[in-house]
Amino acid sequence: MVGGAVAALAALPSVVAALPASDAGTSAAGLRQQALDSADVAFSGYAQAAGGLALPVGEQLTDVADLLSDRTTMRAWYRAADDWRVDVLTPTGETDVHADAVGSWTWDYVHATATRTAPTPLALPTASDLLPSALGRRLLSEAGEDELSRLGAERVAGRDALGLRVVPAEDAASVARVDVWVDADSGVPLRVQVVADGAAEPALDTGFLSLELGTPAASVTAFEVPPGADVREGQDAQLLQAASRAGRETRSRLPGVLAGLDRRTIDGAPRSVGVYGRGITLLAVSPLPGRVAGPLLDALVVAPGAVVDDLGVRIASGPLGLMLVDGPDGPVLLAGTVSLDALAAAATELTGGDS
Amino acid sequence: MIAVELRKLFRRPRTWVTIALLNALPVLVAALLALTDLAPRPGEGPVFLSAVLTNGTLYPLAALAIVLPLFLPIAVALIAGDSVAGEAQAGTLRYLLARPAGRTRLLVAKLVSILVFVLVTVAVVAVVGYLVGRLLFDVQPLGGTSVSGTSLSSTEIAWRTVLAIGYVAVSMLGVAAFALFFSTLTDSPLAAMLGALGILVASSLLFTLDAASSFAPYLPTRYWLAFVDLFREPILWRDVVRGLALQGVYVVVLLGAAWANFTTKDISS
Repeated sequence: MVGGAVAALAALPSVVAALPASDAGTSAAGLRQQALDSADVAFSGYAQAAGGLALPVGEQLTDVADLLSDRTTMRAWYRAADDWRVDVLTPTGETDVHADAVGSWTWDYVHATATRTAPTPLALPTASDLLPSALGRRLLSEAGEDELSRLGAERVAGRDALGLRVVPAEDAASVARVDVWVDADSGVPLRVQVVADGAAEPALDTGFLSLELGTPAASVTAFEVPPGADVREGQDAQLLQAASRAGRETRSRLPGVLAGLDRRTIDGAPRSVGVYGRGITLLAVSPLPGRVAGPLLDALVVAPGAVVDDLGVRIASGPLGLMLVDGPDGPVLLAGTVSLDALAAAATELTGGDS
Repeated sequence: MIAVELRKLFRRPRTWVTIALLNALPVLVAALLALTDLAPRPGEGPVFLSAVLTNGTLYPLAALAIVLPLFLPIAVALIAGDSVAGEAQAGTLRYLLARPAGRTRLLVAKLVSILVFVLVTVAVVAVVGYLVGRLLFDVQPLGGTSVSGTSLSSTEIAWRTVLAIGYVAVSMLGVAAFALFFSTLTDSPLAAMLGALGILVASSLLFTLDAASSFAPYLPTRYWLAFVDLFREPILWRDVVRGLALQGVYVVVLLGAAWANFTTKDISS
């Protein structure tokens, strides 16, 4: 009797998982539009992201590296595009981002710090960017119709989700495909899987485990600095200034096209920082101050799989490529979702080489 | 029979020595913190320990977090593992069962006394932690800060602490169920205790392994730390509820197995 009960209990998860999801006849373009229109759908949810990217970036940027290599557990409350909160949970603490109309507060329980960050035109990725709803909309926003195709339906977070596949058209792309599972009712992206070229497993897999539609209370997304907390200023603006200073001596302007990718115009970004590409295929170029470039170079050259040649050192981790180029005006960092060959081509164009 | 078992348990010096030893570590840690004023760096050491220097009312939680990974399970496994196997080893099990009370009633009496022991132990750790915290550290009359950075009143901290104590007690019932089950399998109390501890060590180890993630949600120690979720704002019930359900399943299945085994077993000693 006990054995039978145990067997029934153990079989329960697989029985629930096998419940079929119902598909709808939505077209790929229509589903993409539905996902993009869901930016005003309010919800509360619990999500998990798993990244398999090991970034050899040494002491700098450890937050970004952790984000892309670890399992991240998130709680999210979304009232509007400029009023939301995402908590990244750890077993003994949490780091929360509260966004409002003029910036965001980041609360770090472990260090008892509250950090105010003003919006900048370019920012390093944070955990809130890994939330399936935000990431899905971002990756779909610039996808062309010829890059889209429909997948079947799946159950995600107990809801019917319709599949949408994006296969980037650019030659330089290092992403083989992105699968987005969109909630059939609300259009909110529920799960996003990014698969690198030549890989079988997703390099990044983020999805809701539970999602509740409906507007959460304003008091949940609001933030008040707790007594005794250390208040700090965000670093994104400083990083941009540092990049801008490092590029002050740059005589040559960044080209309009790099490795076959067009330059994007980003208002307010320093002249020396360039972002190229479209949709999923993006390449960022930025001069680095020497004190940052030195340790990064040391970490990159000893990393397994690093390619070191006359152009500099380059490395790929999943779909993410990273290259440190010894440019004519100092070290330049190239980073993005492009292949190693595209990085090499971009470096050649930047340094004015002829190969 | 239940009263007899309870009296037997709490009259034994061993029970009280176990509880006293269990409290020694948190008291020592508190004394060291108060003397040196050196809290562990935030994010290191047991949960809530870095916060107690500024708010002593959190010490019951820190005390529970200190004993939860090892000492508390050892104490519970020691008492529960001894319950049936100890009688068998001492040769008294035959005489107990010679009475017309029946095996099921004896097992239920043993179970209730273990349950009371778990509750008393967890409560004593919390009360000693509270007294030590009030004596040795500053106390914030206005409450404190939740893990999410919101303010909590003293009443909120108090009832959330009570919930956390209850949650830890339920987590320990799972340990007790393993030890009691093993206790019906063997005549050696030591083997029963080590069996239960072996399961817990294996569970803690597998939980850290990504390759074991497919069955990680079913590991008995998976949700032990979820009492921290009671101090998030809003409270994250997800893992707490899962933890309670998981312990419930372990307790029901293992007690069922213990009962099935004990009622059909040949008693030779």
